[in-house]
Parts: sequence; structure tokens; C-alpha cells
Amino acid sequence: MANIVQVLVDAIALGSLYALVALAIGLVFGVMRLVNFAQADYITIGAYALVVPTVSVTPPLLLGALPSALMIGGVLVVVMALALLTERVAFRPLRNSNPSTLLISSFAVSYFLQNLVMLIHTGRPKSVGIGQGLANAVEIGGVRVPGVQLLTMVVTAGLLVALVLFLKKTPLGIQMRAAAENFQMARLLGMPANRVIALAFAISGLLGGAVSLLLTIQTGTLDLRMGLMPVVYAFFATVIGGMGSLPGAALGGFLVGVASVLLQTYLPADLRPFRDAGVFMMVILILLVRPQGLIVTSAAKERV
Amino acid sequence: MKSVAVAASAAIALLLPVTSAAHAEEPIKIGFAIAESGWLSNYDSAPFKAAVMKIEEINKAGGLLGRQIEYSVMDTKTEQARAATVGAQLVDSGVDMLVVSCDYDFGAPSALAAKQAGKIAFSLCAADPKMGVQGVGPLAFTANSAAQSEGIAIAEYGNKKMNLKSVYVLEDLTIEYNKSACAGFRAAWTASAGAETILGNDTFKNDDPSIASQITRLKGLATQPDAVFVCSFTPGGASAVRQLRAAGIDLPILANTAMVDNYWLNAVPGLKDFYLPAFMSLYGDDPRPEMNKFLESHKARYGEPPVSSYSVLGYSLIEQWAYAVEQAKTTESEAVVGVMNTFKDQPFTAGPTSFTDQLHIQVDRPWLIMKVENDSFRAVEVYRNSFKPDMKLLFRVGQ
Repeated sequence: MANIVQVLVDAIALGSLYALVALAIGLVFGVMRLVNFAQADYITIGAYALVVPTVSVTPPLLLGALPSALMIGGVLVVVMALALLTERVAFRPLRNSNPSTLLISSFAVSYFLQNLVMLIHTGRPKSVGIGQGLANAVEIGGVRVPGVQLLTMVVTAGLLVALVLFLKKTPLGIQMRAAAENFQMARLLGMPANRVIALAFAISGLLGGAVSLLLTIQTGTLDLRMGLMPVVYAFFATVIGGMGSLPGAALGGFLVGVASVLLQTYLPADLRPFRDAGVFMMVILILLVRPQGLIVTSAAKERV
Repeated sequence: MKSVAVAASAAIALLLPVTSAAHAEEPIKIGFAIAESGWLSNYDSAPFKAAVMKIEEINKAGGLLGRQIEYSVMDTKTEQARAATVGAQLVDSGVDMLVVSCDYDFGAPSALAAKQAGKIAFSLCAADPKMGVQGVGPLAFTANSAAQSEGIAIAEYGNKKMNLKSVYVLEDLTIEYNKSACAGFRAAWTASAGAETILGNDTFKNDDPSIASQITRLKGLATQPDAVFVCSFTPGGASAVRQLRAAGIDLPILANTAMVDNYWLNAVPGLKDFYLPAFMSLYGDDPRPEMNKFLESHKARYGEPPVSSYSVLGYSLIEQWAYAVEQAKTTESEAVVGVMNTFKDQPFTAGPTSFTDQLHIQVDRPWLIMKVENDSFRAVEVYRNSFKPDMKLLFRVGQ
């Protein structure tokens, strides 16, 4: 019994992490029809901001040396600024072009940022020892919950609630939802497009920064490609959740995370290497049954 | 017009003695088709710098066969296609030997170009025996030991010297190198302690954000093992060790060589009971004087110790080839390979080195067992594995 609870805790914790990334992807897709693959590099750069940019393999801490509150604030600000900058430079001029052009632009931004990090920090993985206390596990009724897993779940729940309140209760949030429903119409009705889109990017940066910190506390390492896998999973999550639907993105994130842990846990040893294949097969199955995703927004429905 | 003629004659006057001297003592040329940019550059650069150091030492001591060694470097940019082009260009420029990248997948394209031209290709540190007779061909060598040998050495050391009676294997499936190290570990552990003492196996991927379910499975075992063997590399390996320790798993952790050197230890402050087979210690406590001499020379030449302990392999690569050239009295590939294939525990800086006409990689070169203590790797002792991998294990056929 304890084992099943333990597996569920593991599953929900990983699901929460993917849900955070999926929310960021889903939010930007909602207002702009852009699948922003540079989200992976937002996460990477947020984590690298913890150390001084040098070619040294054992760099001194930069933001990581600050007291917790300042460190968290610092990383979030860096990633939000980066997200806003990429929006201004690479996406805003292309806003009226084809979604596939935007997608290509996001790949370009991603490659550029990745190579920039490689140029400054070299391609060699580095390590940071932040939040060691949080990484340690606490036992709750025979179930082991690493502090960082608990934190991931709390942060995800907190940010999810905050995001929902923001979208439902504030004028900007309502405008953002309107933009996601029908961008042209919202614009005609006076929605400030630049502000709303910039805000969506800023929030995706905030979520990216949170993921940077959670990942770094969990793994203690910095690597060029550290943001990639979570974003690939999150992309699948937004697809199965329903493109453009925020609850869908969060739900999809949970589902892929949970599926990944369950497969890792219950597959026989010989099949375990094919865990990821199993997750992606599940994605295909869901799309076969529900091509529009699990939660369909009215914007995604065909209009006659 | 006059000034042109003067300049031309001056140039001819300057050139003449140079060319005539060059005819008498044409330099030996070594080409480096290695990554100077891209992610692999960090793995190629340390052994490359050490190789250059050895070339300079040879030149200072009068050269090789009385000739100076010249070297040229071309960047593969960590691209396989470019590795092939760059290899071919260097071979065309007339190099006598081609040094290729520290990885089979990225070194093989250059090595194949050398093979076409009948030149020796020597990988800085590929740990795959395919960088040899059965893969690239009879003119390909690597300065490293087979990845299997890392797993074998730490399995034997753990069972025989540390008296560990049972073990759990956590295998990173991301690259072939880890699978080879794990295969070697399982074979040697089974031979030494019996298959039933491997209490379980589990897998993960280097970029997995969490190994929580693997930890749950390990903690759920009816009997806890005496140790965990993690075959991985950084960053994923460091992340796995951090998560194991954070989950309160304080068992000794055995690992493979890719996890060596202090740079990742920040990820697990206060780590102890962590053991692996290493090439050498960068921290001044290596029991072998030749390693400390290498360390001092590197500090004198570059003003810093090598960034990675893989460095010594590059130094030793040049040493091995130059020794064979001296014995063969020529740089002609067939003759040099003929000498290299007779190496049997030939003493070089990296350790006793053996090649045969079948095997161009080390399978039982002694390892320096190191452990982590006070946030640094420390030398424990030199250990040589007695279990030798057969061809089936080396090429992982029927595993």
C-alpha cells in the first residue's frame, strides 16, 4: 500500500513539473498560435544565471550566492526579461505571418540561445549546490517525499490557482482569454495586442524561471540541454490536453508525467528501456480518439 | 620595377636555404581532426593540449628520427559530416598520422578518411573497440581502455577489495558507452560473486528530470544491496547521485570513469562512499610518480592543471606512436602498426599498454581507484582487473 502511495507521489511530482512547462507553452500558443520551443532555453538560461558566466567548469555562484528570496526573484526576472526580449525581437515582427513561420523563428531563437550559452559557459556540464536542504526527503507515514517534489507540487498548485484567478478576475486576464478565443475580434474590440502578448510571454518566463529553479534543486546540475526534455514532454502535453486550452495543458502535463512514472515502475525490466515509446504511444492513442485533445476550446472548433 | 626585382630576389634568397634544409629534414606531420567548437570540444581539448605538450617535448629533445614534428588542427565542429571532410583534408595535406575525436561516433568519420589513404588514425579517448580492427580497420587505434574494462575493474574491486557481497545496477541508456560499462560490470561481478548477488537492475535516461520511481523500486527491495553501481555520465549521473543521496540511500556508490573529476561535486555536497576507476589523479596524490610529473609539466606549460584527467590519454597517444615510429625507423603506416601490434604491457605514461593484430584498445590497463572525500576525489590505490572481456563482451554480441 505504502508502495502504491509512493508511486503516486512520484508520479504527481513529475506530472506537476511537466504541467508547469505545459502551461507556459499553452499560454503563448493560446494568444499567438506559436509553439515556442525557445521555452527550453528560457529554462536553461534561468538555471545558468545562478552561476557567474565563465568558461570555468567550477564557476563561482552569481544569483545562487544571494539569499533565497533574492535568488528566486533574480532568476524569475532574468527569464522574464529574456522571454520579453525574444518576443520583441523575434516574434512580434512576425506576428501576422503564418504559424509555421513563427515556429521556424522559435527554432532559430532556440538554437541561437543554446549556442550563446555554449559560447559563454562551454558545453561541459556544471554543477550547483543550491537548495540542498530542500533536496532531502521527508518521511510522511512511511512515504518518502523529497522536499523538492513537495515544493514542485506546491508551486504548481499555487501558480495554477494564481493563473486561473488572474485570467478570470483581472481585466488583463480577461483580455488574454478573449485574445485566445478570437484574436482579430478581441483586437477590434480594443484589446491592446502588444501588451497582452508581452504579458503572456512574461508569464511564460515566470513559469520557465520557476522550472529552472525546481530542476536545479532536483538535479544539482547545469547543462545546455536541460530544458529540452521537459519542453518536449510539455509540447506533447499541450497537444493531448487540447491546443490552446490552459486547463488542458495542465491536465496533459500531469498525464504524461504520471504515465512516464507508471511505465517506469510497472513495465517488466526488459521493456523498461521503451518507457518513452510507451508515453508517446499513449499520446498517439489519445489523439486518434480525440484529435482535438482532451479539453477542446471553442477557438479550436471548426467554424462553418 | 626595380624594387619588385629586389624584393623577389630577396624573397628567393630567404626561401632557398629554408627549402634546402626542409629537403634534408622534412618535418613529420601529425593532423588533428578534432572538435574545437560544439559540445565535444570540451572533451577533445584537454587530451589535445596534452598531446601538443608531448610533441613539444619530443621536438625539444631533438625530434623524432632526427626530424621535427609539425602539427595542424582542423575543427570538426562536433559534426559527423564535417569530421569526414576535415579528416580527408588533413590526409590530403600529407599528414603521417591522424589524431581523431574522443568519441567513436564523431571520430570514426575522420578515421575512415585516414584508412582510405592508408594512414594511421588514433582516437584521443574513444572507449569503443570498434575504433580498431573490427570497426574502422586495422590502422585505427584508441588511446583509451574499453568501456567494459571500467565496469570490470570496479566490479572486481568492489567484490574482492571492498568485500561488497551484493549490488544493484542502475543503467543510463542514453549512450552506448554506459551500456558497455554496465555489461562489463555485470560480467565481472557475475564471475566474481555470482549472478544471484546482483539484486536488481533498473534503467534511466541522462536527461530524466527525476529518478524518483527508480529510487522507489530500489528502496522497495526485500533485501537492500551492499552497493549501487551507476553507469552514467554527467550531468545525468551527477543528478542521479544527488537524488539517491537525498532519498537517504547512503550505500556505497560505484561508478564508471566518465564520472571522474571534481567539477560536478557541487551537485552533491558532502558526498562520500563514492568509488570509481580513474586514469590518474589531478589532485597531487597519485601513487605513480610519472603521473605527478605529467601534472607538473602541464602546470608549467599551460599555467594550470589539466581540466580533465582524460588529458593524460592524449599525451600518451603521441608517446605510443612516437615510440613505435622510433622502433620502426619510419613513419610508414604498415611498419608502425606492425610495431604497435607487438606492444605487450609496454610502459607508457598512461600505464602498461598492449595491442594485438585483433585488439587496438586496452582491456586490462591498471586503473587508479578513487573515492570522494571532503568534496574531492582522492586516490585509493592502483588496481588491475584479472577478468578479461572476450570479443563477445567487447562488441556486446549476444548480450
